[in-house]
Amino acid sequence: MGKQLWGVRVAAALVAAGLTLTACTSSGTPAGPSGSGAPGAQALDNAKGVTTVNFWHSMTGQNATTLTALVDAFNAAHQGKIVVKPLFQGTYDDVIAKYKASVQQKGTPSLVQVYDIGTRFMIDSKQTVPAQAFVDRDNYPLADIEPNIRNYYSAGGKLASMPFNSSMPLLYLNTDAFKEAGLDPAKQPQDLAELGDMAKKLTKKDAGGQTTRYGFGAAIYGWFVEELLAESGTLYCDQGNGRTGNAGKVLFDSAQGAQAVQWWADLVKGGYAANTGRVPADAQAAFKAGKVAMHLESTGVLRGYTEAAKFTVGTAPFPKINATDQGGPAIGGASLWIDGPGHSDAEQRASWEFVKFLSAPEQQAVWHTGTGYFPVNRKALDDPRDKAWLARYPQFQTAIDELHATNPTPATAGCLLGVMPQARKGVETAIEQTISGSKTAQQALSDAVKQLQPAIDSYNSAVG
Amino acid sequence: MPTARRSRRDWGERTLAWAFLTPSLVVFALFIGYPLGRTFYLSAHANDLFGAPSRYVGLRHYTDLLGSAEFHQTLVTTALFVLLTVVPGVVGALALVLLLESRIHGVRAFRSAFALPFAFSVASASVVFSVLYNPASGVLNGLLSQLGVAPVGWLTDQRYALLSVGAATIWMTLGYNVLVLSAGVGSIPQEITEAARLDGASGLRLARSVTVPLLGPHLFFLVVVSTINALQSFGQIHILTKGGPDGATRTLVYSVYEKAFAYGSSDFGTASAQAVVLLVVVLACAGVQFGVLERKVHYA
Repeated sequence: MGKQLWGVRVAAALVAAGLTLTACTSSGTPAGPSGSGAPGAQALDNAKGVTTVNFWHSMTGQNATTLTALVDAFNAAHQGKIVVKPLFQGTYDDVIAKYKASVQQKGTPSLVQVYDIGTRFMIDSKQTVPAQAFVDRDNYPLADIEPNIRNYYSAGGKLASMPFNSSMPLLYLNTDAFKEAGLDPAKQPQDLAELGDMAKKLTKKDAGGQTTRYGFGAAIYGWFVEELLAESGTLYCDQGNGRTGNAGKVLFDSAQGAQAVQWWADLVKGGYAANTGRVPADAQAAFKAGKVAMHLESTGVLRGYTEAAKFTVGTAPFPKINATDQGGPAIGGASLWIDGPGHSDAEQRASWEFVKFLSAPEQQAVWHTGTGYFPVNRKALDDPRDKAWLARYPQFQTAIDELHATNPTPATAGCLLGVMPQARKGVETAIEQTISGSKTAQQALSDAVKQLQPAIDSYNSAVG
Repeated sequence: MPTARRSRRDWGERTLAWAFLTPSLVVFALFIGYPLGRTFYLSAHANDLFGAPSRYVGLRHYTDLLGSAEFHQTLVTTALFVLLTVVPGVVGALALVLLLESRIHGVRAFRSAFALPFAFSVASASVVFSVLYNPASGVLNGLLSQLGVAPVGWLTDQRYALLSVGAATIWMTLGYNVLVLSAGVGSIPQEITEAARLDGASGLRLARSVTVPLLGPHLFFLVVVSTINALQSFGQIHILTKGGPDGATRTLVYSVYEKAFAYGSSDFGTASAQAVVLLVVVLACAGVQFGVLERKVHYA
């Protein structure tokens, strides 16, 4: 009896000890003030020894190889002064999860690559020095950075982070299939209705009635709906797409949103579009294999397509919902954030030096030709290497024209929202529900908006 | 005299016992006790932007879950997934093992082949299945089109996704189940089967009246372990469907992951509350199985 009681007491003591430990580790989160002024070049001059920049990124494959080459070039040029250590941290989502943990443990990296839809969170985290502070200190020629890309990463007219790898959505065409179906690949669809008609003509069945080629096919990826809304000049969230204040509501259940999602689902249900699910690689495989004649994807895959496909890959501007739409596509990709709190002036300055290096015309030309990402620096397009590359892959001109034809507006800037990744997931679920026929597009999107509201509210109340 | 001396000796033994137990208790407290306590703590707190607990909210996460249609769907999906994988996984393995009992040539090769899935990691097996299931270039749809059957959205159609993930899971667990049951059959005393054979029993009759009842403890063990494994399945769901389409394969564990880490979410409060629900479900399943099934098990 006594023995048992003693055992219980030991267990209780252990639990209590555990709870005390818990209490110790959970005492608040550091939320240092965001640096108002950025350290100048002298911070690095005064620093002793080598300043290390821990750089978290999400690049894999060919993109990682190109990035490593750029890092090596930078380190060689700053020998004995700065060393940048690139640390691959998994997907963009993984980086956000790890970054949150690092904030709790007061061990943020010096520099971190964060995807477009993490922008609002990064601003609210108050862990970074706005790129604008460095731009102002150095009189950095910000006009060289593509205005539409700058527009995305700015809040309140100030640049929050430096864009690095930017992509745009394109409509990809299997030109051989077009010719076979008697269509002119140079005559691109003006709107969704026309795209749908073409998809019907491009769909091919064998003698047994089996579909051998679908007219259309894209991954169920919320980004495409974001892009269609931007193309139609429609806001995705309130407060001018979160540009004039913290967005408190998403608006993707608009008539335009419902029209786009219903159009997509109807094509799938009619047997004219392949449904390969959410995994982008599956949709890409279907296009490369010639199973899909028209396809939505980012510019970032163009180089892979031209090399893998056995047909001539054509590119066209991303479709508009209605031919009269006046908007343009918003950019995707990621940007670089310099961490402030917990990092010395020298380290912050060293991060900026690296960021400046990466966004310079020469490096952006290397990046553009090596990866397929869009050059964020306009002058990169004048680089002879870049010109040679464009001559070899004329399909890439489409994206450049598309970007330059777009007027920066709140709609084309894209939505800044703390819970943007969850909003994107909500849209993806709505597409799935519409395809399965369990709901109409309007109903599915309205439900997604309703379901997202608590997450937006709790995010905004946490930001305060 | 004897009582005093005995209690002193008892005391000494007790101290010694605790001294021996301490290392394992410390490890237990550190790696099980602390995370468990931490989970309960987190489940009663709201989170700040970075996922750190911010303020006490009591049982609100639990009451929110009770009222959430999404969570109800998750529970149903979890139950279906367990049923779909445990029953065929154990019954299938039993059928294979009984077949292996027949005296045919190359039985060893078959035994190795059936146990082979055990050697595959969940990740590599899932990647292989994702290739088989691929809607455009997958082997399964290729076979169907040879037969003139319309392609099936194995992982992209709500009606089939859970079945497809379940089938992959059964394949992955089959190897282990075959190994356990083979060992069980091997441990049945020869004289019992021989006696049964002398009495004229063979084939199905032998299996039904002798082999299967004597495999009771092994079958019971497999049902318990498979149920817990099914409740904790993550890798194949993550690789094959990411819980989709439209939540059709989102089990409790996957939901915990989504709330805590996926899509930039760091809702550790809700995730912890779900983890506690999962703990209760696992304990309840184990309790029911021990209470009901074990009484019917004959330990030879």
